Amino acid sequence: MSDEEKKVTIETGDAGKGTTVISEDANTEELEERALSVFSSDRNEDIVALVFCLITTFLVLLFTKWLV
Amino acid sequence: MSKVQEQMPTLIMGAGLIIYGLIAKSGALLSMTKVLHTHKTLDLQVTMTLVLGCIAIAGALLNTTRKSGATNLDTFVLRPLGGIILILVMAMAIRWYAEPVMKLISKALQPTLGFKIYKVLNLNYVVLGILSGVLLTNTWGIPKFAAEGVKCARFVLKMGVIMLGARYSFAELAKLGVYSVFLVGFFVLGTVFLVLWLGNLFKQPKTMTGVLAAGMGVCGVSATVAVAPVVKAKSAEMAYTIGTILSFGIICMFVFPTIGKLAGMSPVQFGAWAGTGILNSAQVAAAALAFNAVDIETLKVAEIFNITRVLFLPVIVLVLATWFGKETGQKLSFKSVVIDKFPVFIIGFLLLFFMSSMGLFSPPSHYKGKYIDVSYNDRSQVTPEEWEVLNSAMTAGEFSGLTETQLEAVTNLVEQRQIAGNYEDRSNKKAFDHVGRARMTQLQGILAAAKAKQVKLSGDVKAAIKHAVKQVKKKSKTVVTLTDFMIWFFAFGLIGLGMQITKKAITQAGGWPIVMGVISGITKATLSFFVVLWLVKDVVLN
Repeated sequence: MSDEEKKVTIETGDAGKGTTVISEDANTEELEERALSVFSSDRNEDIVALVFCLITTFLVLLFTKWLV
Repeated sequence: MSKVQEQMPTLIMGAGLIIYGLIAKSGALLSMTKVLHTHKTLDLQVTMTLVLGCIAIAGALLNTTRKSGATNLDTFVLRPLGGIILILVMAMAIRWYAEPVMKLISKALQPTLGFKIYKVLNLNYVVLGILSGVLLTNTWGIPKFAAEGVKCARFVLKMGVIMLGARYSFAELAKLGVYSVFLVGFFVLGTVFLVLWLGNLFKQPKTMTGVLAAGMGVCGVSATVAVAPVVKAKSAEMAYTIGTILSFGIICMFVFPTIGKLAGMSPVQFGAWAGTGILNSAQVAAAALAFNAVDIETLKVAEIFNITRVLFLPVIVLVLATWFGKETGQKLSFKSVVIDKFPVFIIGFLLLFFMSSMGLFSPPSHYKGKYIDVSYNDRSQVTPEEWEVLNSAMTAGEFSGLTETQLEAVTNLVEQRQIAGNYEDRSNKKAFDHVGRARMTQLQGILAAAKAKQVKLSGDVKAAIKHAVKQVKKKSKTVVTLTDFMIWFFAFGLIGLGMQITKKAITQAGGWPIVMGVISGITKATLSFFVVLWLVKDVVLN
């Protein structure tokens, strides 16, 4: 990919994803890589959210049920 | 800029929170909060501000002394801390001050305007939070120290959805699930085919039509990104499509609640409509909470519809791949869409649902965290004074107008000092509970008869019986606390959502995608509105 290549900036407006820059003539392979990278970041985000929720739930149970 | 300067805003916010917490603790804010009707939250205000203030100062000090790395502590806690604190400060200011002030202004303006502006425009903490986020990002911009924290909004919103799982019963999930699969399935596929037909009608390239069909049909940005390689969309077409979806979604987010209120939709109906008609998950949550922020019924329904819609993505990718004639041997297979794109947060949602259903948060028979406990318990008894009142009334024959079963329930209440089953049955929990609940029903019947003036009881006796009934109706503290956390997660996530609504994101919409997007979006919203009004009844949550 040359530096001369024109880029398209897409404002996803999606909390957390923000701006994405993609080559104007992006081919299927690039789009696939982009999609797979988004899937992977979504998955990581989901896992972190799940872990944080379980920690919150544990703490709530500890202070409202098990320790009282 | 030195590290200390970078952390200065966080330190100032932390110090401000601690000072506020101490002032609130001293009782100096009591009269003001009484005017704002937020005095019941004073304890929470003290705890939250002091805890957050300490965390902010400790985190900022750690950031100044520690070299930033790529550890989880840096990524998820220390770097986003400034932004997280900023959003929380905004959320607290909105919930405890901006919303109550808006209510007071609305009430004062009612005689002049003839309506409550607060109700018509749904100016509750959700809408005010989003608007303040939009205002901040489009005027001063997101401060540099908060940029990383704002990115957390999306996953905090997902935490809210996961926590929401604790608030469903099996029956609700089953009923809502069936409704949502049929409605969402029909409208998702219907929108996809409508956009494809419009593309054919306006002679637009298949690449653009395909990506717009997915975006308008399923779940906005994620669907567009997933389908782009399948239909070989051009970058400019993606930008146009995403702009169209966002603009349409933002309008829906503000317009749907007002239309729902004007049409007299019930919380359940509105939840179903928002979950079907709005494209973006965060915008669905925002519209549901804007419509009904007092309780979470609307949100519960909307999220089930939203989750069902998200789960439809692989089906749409398959449909569009077949329509486009996708070649094989590429990196993004159908399998990877199903497996890699599977929304893991739904597993979390189901996990919380199962934990709740197994009785971890409150007894399995609870509903919305409320349950009846007639077992022997100090907290279920009437006070000694109330017992005296009941005993004197019994001796004086004040209960002569009651039926035999009602009289038995009162007699037993006086004997046991609480609503309970028979003492001798205490080892047989089922029988004990059954009798106890029957006695509670009889006592409620006495109160209803007294209200209807069928029996004459003194105010003290009625108050004592009322208290006895109230004492056995428990509210799970765990469920209440989990719900509070969930509401704060949503408030946080939605302010962050507002911060992502930029002029640039909206103005990138254009070309044929905006024409086709508006036609298909309005068709879907209008049709789903009537179908929901016709099909979805309130019995879903009863």
